[in-house]
Amino acid sequence: MVLQITQYNMKLHWRIWVLIIFLMFSFLAIFVSFSPFAISAFEKGVLIKSVEKNSTEFNAGIRAGMIIKEINSKTMNEVLDYSNFISSINSDIEEQKYTIVSDKGSFIFLTDKSLTISVSSIPKTKLKTGLDLSGGARALIRPVNVTLSDAELNDLISVTSERFNVYGLKDVTIKSVKDLQGNNYMLIEIAGSTPSELESLVANQGKFEGKIGNITVFSGGKGDIAHVERAGQQAGIEGCSDVKDGAVCRFTFPITLTEESAKKHADVTSALGLDSENSEYLSEKLNLYIDDTLMDSLYISKDLKGRVTTQIAIQGSSAGLNQQEAFNEANANMKKLQTVLITGSLPYKLEILKLDTISPTLGKEFTKNLIILAVVVFAIIALALLIKYRKIKITSAVVLTMFSEAFITLGVAALIKWNLDAPAIAGIIAGMGTGVNDQIVIIDESVSNAQISLRERIKRAFFIIVGAFFTIVAAMLPLFWAGAGMLKGFALTTILSVLVGILITRPAFAEILRKIQE
Amino acid sequence: MSQVIEEKHEHRKNWFDKYYKFLMLIPIILVIISLVYIGNFYSKHNDIIFRDVSLSGGTAITLNGGSDYSHLESGLKQKYSDINFRKLTDMRTGDIMAFVIESSAESNSLKADVESILGYKLTSENSSIEFSGPSLGSNFYNQLMMALLISFILMSLVVFIMFRTFVPSIAVIFAAFSDIVIPLAIINYLGIKLSAAGIAAFLMLIGYSVDTDLLLTTRAIKNKEGFLNHRIYRAFKTGIFMTITALCAVLPAFFIITGLPDSFKQIFLILSLGLGADILNTWLTNAGIIKWYCKSHNIT
Repeated sequence: MVLQITQYNMKLHWRIWVLIIFLMFSFLAIFVSFSPFAISAFEKGVLIKSVEKNSTEFNAGIRAGMIIKEINSKTMNEVLDYSNFISSINSDIEEQKYTIVSDKGSFIFLTDKSLTISVSSIPKTKLKTGLDLSGGARALIRPVNVTLSDAELNDLISVTSERFNVYGLKDVTIKSVKDLQGNNYMLIEIAGSTPSELESLVANQGKFEGKIGNITVFSGGKGDIAHVERAGQQAGIEGCSDVKDGAVCRFTFPITLTEESAKKHADVTSALGLDSENSEYLSEKLNLYIDDTLMDSLYISKDLKGRVTTQIAIQGSSAGLNQQEAFNEANANMKKLQTVLITGSLPYKLEILKLDTISPTLGKEFTKNLIILAVVVFAIIALALLIKYRKIKITSAVVLTMFSEAFITLGVAALIKWNLDAPAIAGIIAGMGTGVNDQIVIIDESVSNAQISLRERIKRAFFIIVGAFFTIVAAMLPLFWAGAGMLKGFALTTILSVLVGILITRPAFAEILRKIQE
Repeated sequence: MSQVIEEKHEHRKNWFDKYYKFLMLIPIILVIISLVYIGNFYSKHNDIIFRDVSLSGGTAITLNGGSDYSHLESGLKQKYSDINFRKLTDMRTGDIMAFVIESSAESNSLKADVESILGYKLTSENSSIEFSGPSLGSNFYNQLMMALLISFILMSLVVFIMFRTFVPSIAVIFAAFSDIVIPLAIINYLGIKLSAAGIAAFLMLIGYSVDTDLLLTTRAIKNKEGFLNHRIYRAFKTGIFMTITALCAVLPAFFIITGLPDSFKQIFLILSLGLGADILNTWLTNAGIIKWYCKSHNIT
């Protein structure tokens, strides 16, 4: 008999422990994050959003994503501290010494230029809000009269990303989406303020030109570049070597020109002399432009002078603090260059199917209201339960379970980096509604009919709950695909919260109830 | 004491036994009225709902703040025949938070006209602009309607698997159908233009409204303790409280959240209407059918 009681207590602990563990995990996911490199919300300092490449501070090792704690012994707790510091610097002094203390160590360097570091405050939680709440722009793009394969769509996406980089736009996500009928789209989302030229930016593929001196050798849209080899034996990193202060890696890949542009290339190069500094190369470089912005300059090997060749090898090198960084850098540069060259060869026009620019102002109001809403909903439901059952313990158990369900759902959303838009939040609230329903079924089933064992009664409650679970999942499932997944968030959070309910909080609630009724 | 309970129970028994077939008809009549209304609506508008610009194609411009835009209204009406205007008000304070302009026009021309009347540029600081191409809008709409159908079929499958008997399963499915049709007719009557999120709310209604029906059917035909009327009555007591608490969750969401996004309010309006309809559909029609079924199958 004694043994039986201990066993019972063990079981009771087990289900409630699962709930507690999940709550703790959710807390970590929302406020701290699991990745060892991620920033905890409790960390003090300012977050580096970007550092200009090849600036002094970049070469000293400062990178985006680091947290600045101190600069020249001044504590950085908020963005204001940083901007105050920047404005306090005396620009008359020619060279300034900077000592930056970050979460990844200290950096000391001298520079006569102003810092290229841009910072933001550390986000309070890991939760991300969707476009409709945080403001920003969204565009859904499709080529006119062409169905793209997945690979072609990925090309379009990398080309577009490159063009957004040219314009210096940050916080842009570009991805492919599919709808119920299997159509492919490109979805562009830009957080924060939106550029006025957005429409022309997304609707065009960009103007691509390769020039030697002032003469255009090849340009986009006409198919001057027939092929760009992107993988395989001839394309890739050739080798790396250590140099002073770091390492350098070299990459190469071949491209194929059309006969016509090869001839043009030969005509132009035949008139060129040799480079005065390096006689291996010609005196002019091949300059690549996207939308009239210089993207890259390539030396032209002297062997190519005046030769009509359709096969050209593009070579380049990138430096880094160590071999790994140099390798990654070279790889990224190679990809970028390939993308730039491919830009000239996408044979279709684009159409804007949807373009939304959302002001962040109303979204802010909404987020504020959500907290009020949560408090009101909890209070009203607690009151209703108290009136019906007249037991504080049961009421608190229900409210606690409701809270746990919403909290764990948010935890999962933070973990998978899901953007919570308004429909997704609606899904969480609706999920809480079904959660309470299920708990009422458990309570009513457990207080009823003393002839049958409590275990049997709870089993019956779970039959209804499992049925209700499957009907909700069945109902929400099609939304994952319908309308290019624009309402995925709604379906996901609803399914997540009922899933959390049935697997974690409901069993724990049944145990708590059993404990209360003993 | 026990005699009093017995008598009370007897009284309840007689009352429900006498009227259940009549009660059953009330929601059925409502469903028929709704279907006729939707049918009539279809013949007039060639569609079963009013679609907002995200589903029909067009532009919605939301101006932040509560200025007087009457000159804007009259100016735009001259050029765009299908234009309409809405104000978003804060339900608590009554302040106007934003002004919405909707038209099937293309975003650039509408934006330019709004800018020229207002005399300032529209930026992401002072306004939101949403544009959907007409082909995408109707494509989304068709897909969401398809999703609605798929979701209804999947729900029906789950119900059939749960109960494995025809009449009780059909009764649950009919209740779910009625839970969609009645709110849809009301939404149309109110002239509300549905967004994609609004249609998603109807999908959710399918899953959301059947739990009371599952409760009723399980208690009535799967459990055998006590009299049938008593079991139905107990299910009713639990179920009505479930619906009330669910309404407690969704109604404040409709009334408290003000301003944008509209999609959010629409979801909760539809869920509230559906839950309201569900009270009638479950406890009058579905309960009646179950009672009838149990009687003919000698389940007491």
